[in-house]
Amino acid sequence: MKTTWLASATIAALLCATPALAQKTTLVVGMQTQDAGVLDPHLNSGTPGKALMNWMFNGLVRIKPGQSSPDHIEPDIAESWTSSPDGKEWTFKLRQGVQCHHDLGEFTSEDAVFSLKRAGTKDTSAFSSDYAAFDKVEAIDKYTVKITLKNAIPSLLGQVMSYHGGNMVCKKAADGPDKDGFAKKPAGTGPFVFAEYVPQQYVKLVANKKYWRGEPKIKEIIYRFIPSDAARDLALQAGEIDLMSGRQEQAWVDRIARTPGLKVLTFGPAEMSVIHFNMTQPPLDNIKVRQAIAHAIDRAGIHQFRGMSISRPAVSVVPSGYFGTHETAPLLPHDLNKARQLLTEAGFPNGITIKAIHTTLPGMMSFMEATQAQLKRAGITLDITPVEHPTFHQQIRQDLSQVVHFQAARFPIADVYLTHFFHSSSIVKTPTAVTNFSHCKVADAEITAARTEQNKEKQVALWKTAQEKIIAEVCAVPVNEMLMNWAHRDNLDLGYELKGSLNLGPPITENTRFTR
Amino acid sequence: MGAFLVKRLMFSAVTLFAVLTLVFIVIRIVPGDPALVILGDQADAAAISALQKRLGIDRPLFEQYLSFLSGAVRGDWGVSLVTGRPVLMEVLAVLPWTLELTAVALLLGAMIGVPLGAWAAINRNRMPDYLTRLLSLVGLSFPPFVSAILLLIGFALALRWFPVISSNRATWWDWFQSIALPALNLALIMAAYITRVTRSAMLEVLQEDYVRTARAKGVPWAVIVWRHALRNALIPVVTVVGLYLSILIGNSVLTEIVFNRPGLGKLIIGALNQRDYMMLQGMMVIYTLIVVVVNMLTDIVYAVVDPRVKLS
Repeated sequence: MKTTWLASATIAALLCATPALAQKTTLVVGMQTQDAGVLDPHLNSGTPGKALMNWMFNGLVRIKPGQSSPDHIEPDIAESWTSSPDGKEWTFKLRQGVQCHHDLGEFTSEDAVFSLKRAGTKDTSAFSSDYAAFDKVEAIDKYTVKITLKNAIPSLLGQVMSYHGGNMVCKKAADGPDKDGFAKKPAGTGPFVFAEYVPQQYVKLVANKKYWRGEPKIKEIIYRFIPSDAARDLALQAGEIDLMSGRQEQAWVDRIARTPGLKVLTFGPAEMSVIHFNMTQPPLDNIKVRQAIAHAIDRAGIHQFRGMSISRPAVSVVPSGYFGTHETAPLLPHDLNKARQLLTEAGFPNGITIKAIHTTLPGMMSFMEATQAQLKRAGITLDITPVEHPTFHQQIRQDLSQVVHFQAARFPIADVYLTHFFHSSSIVKTPTAVTNFSHCKVADAEITAARTEQNKEKQVALWKTAQEKIIAEVCAVPVNEMLMNWAHRDNLDLGYELKGSLNLGPPITENTRFTR
Repeated sequence: MGAFLVKRLMFSAVTLFAVLTLVFIVIRIVPGDPALVILGDQADAAAISALQKRLGIDRPLFEQYLSFLSGAVRGDWGVSLVTGRPVLMEVLAVLPWTLELTAVALLLGAMIGVPLGAWAAINRNRMPDYLTRLLSLVGLSFPPFVSAILLLIGFALALRWFPVISSNRATWWDWFQSIALPALNLALIMAAYITRVTRSAMLEVLQEDYVRTARAKGVPWAVIVWRHALRNALIPVVTVVGLYLSILIGNSVLTEIVFNRPGLGKLIIGALNQRDYMMLQGMMVIYTLIVVVVNMLTDIVYAVVDPRVKLS
């Protein structure tokens, strides 16, 4: 009798306890940052803010969760779209019944038009130059938006997706009397709604119960700012956070992967490390010197140094996997003898010294030191001046460094990387400057022509030629690509397979849930 | 006392003005562009220039300086360049966190350091003395971020007594749990300083004639130590506490980061990384004020501890 009573009590207790255990619905994320910055998707371009924005905002289209290639573009707020044969007119049909956060009403074409115009305005957007080709954005009716371009661009869909300026904001929240107020209470249409921001501590989001794809299974997200790597690791192990941004270190990945209860996420888009040569300054104005440096760099060695499972050797001056990347580009091979011979031919039989201003960020610095050691073997002395990261970014844009190591990912279409880094319009210290540190302009014609080319094959061929020309001129040496690393507790199910995320963090969707 | 305070306040105002000017100049000499930091590495020159204009950092330096000074006098410290929120609001939101951490650490440090220092002194060149000196040396040598990680591994991860993220103050228990490890981390350093100073001050005082007289009169040893010697030995300790309070606040930067506690230290590092001029200026004013107030309080405490000291 006593045994039966005990068994019944145990079963009853388990029945009561099981739902409680299954009810974990608060996701705590640990992000490597002091703060997320301004909570406005059109102004926040930093890594810590991108993932957060992605959980709150939709685009007209999106890349399928877990992917980062434009091959996986699918409808988001727009149900369908059409374009004119010349690629200059695009019409989007919006989904009906999509609700803005904070009970601001239905999202209509008026909101979409406002949002795109806002993204194209310098005062309200960090991405305004991306929308330079936009001529008109009109609301044809309540659910139809028409975009007219001055000229065709490589990916119009890339400008209207849930990424950077393509994030759709609700007009009533952003066009009120207090325009700066939007960042204090941002309103989009995504699966999670802004609830609270505590400086230096966290941003709290809650589930959007009216989300048109269905109410999210995660009811609350606490996005904690935890700048200390060690503290994030310990908090994850202690179960105080469920998901965290990790380090770009093979040792960290291996250690977390070995820890019971934890899983590592390694995904793209990879950030490519490229050594840019300032071709206006001696001795780098001599192509033989640039070729010698290129031959002295051992991509395979750097790949091994940076981690076999979290990095890969570069394949071209555009990262691998982008639409238009020349995957078998004729990069100069590692050959120390050839490097020494070229230096002698260039008039430097005793070697050269080149100077680089470089950030003190550990991951980037270790790469530069490894490169420095490789160059030394060919008689090339790389003199590194370490400076703090913001100083680095300012000084390389002032053309103060002979050699610039830049590690970056861009929207995965060749045009963006080629334009930002190798088109003459982007040369640093010019009014239209972006990040052309080498003063390269050998492929301007091909890059410009490819932008408006409607025939995809011809477009890709132009980009391929552009990459070959840049490599032949040795404007820069692409060395290595680093993937992103995150970690999570094994009871978190993202709801999709994570191969890539343009927003640099795992998307948290309506299907993300805890398994226990 | 009143005249002393007025004089010190006037001196503090001059100090504050000098610091404000110096900070304004130094922050702008340091390379790094807030607009570039805010917009990220993909921003083009036109967008950067537009943001510089919007933030007002494209104006002539002197104009910015006058605007900053007039704002500071009116109590308007401007808005953060990065978040757009008022600097004063952000500083006041985290100030209590740093003050309570520093106060608890100081108290804890004194509670550990004074008895240990006295114990070492009365057992000079014996095992307790060696042990205390060794411990204080370890305390002084340990970087606070290393001791913080060790405390977390031991007490938060292995024993699970305290949380790794120390920022919950919902209840008194939560408050205790969240302040215990960060305060202990800072207190260990403070205790090391205080132990050494107390020991050396006590050794000096124990050689004094009045101590010998008291012993000759048969006053119990405990009374001599705690009532006669220790009180006199505390004067240099107060000086050290005053001096090292600034170091304590400095160490709190790393402690706040590792324990993920909000605070001035964390705020200033973020502002520095983002070149948030307005925030940095506001923070510097706060730090200056803290140092000025602490120095003044130290002087006042002298008079309380040692009646021979007259404030004039």
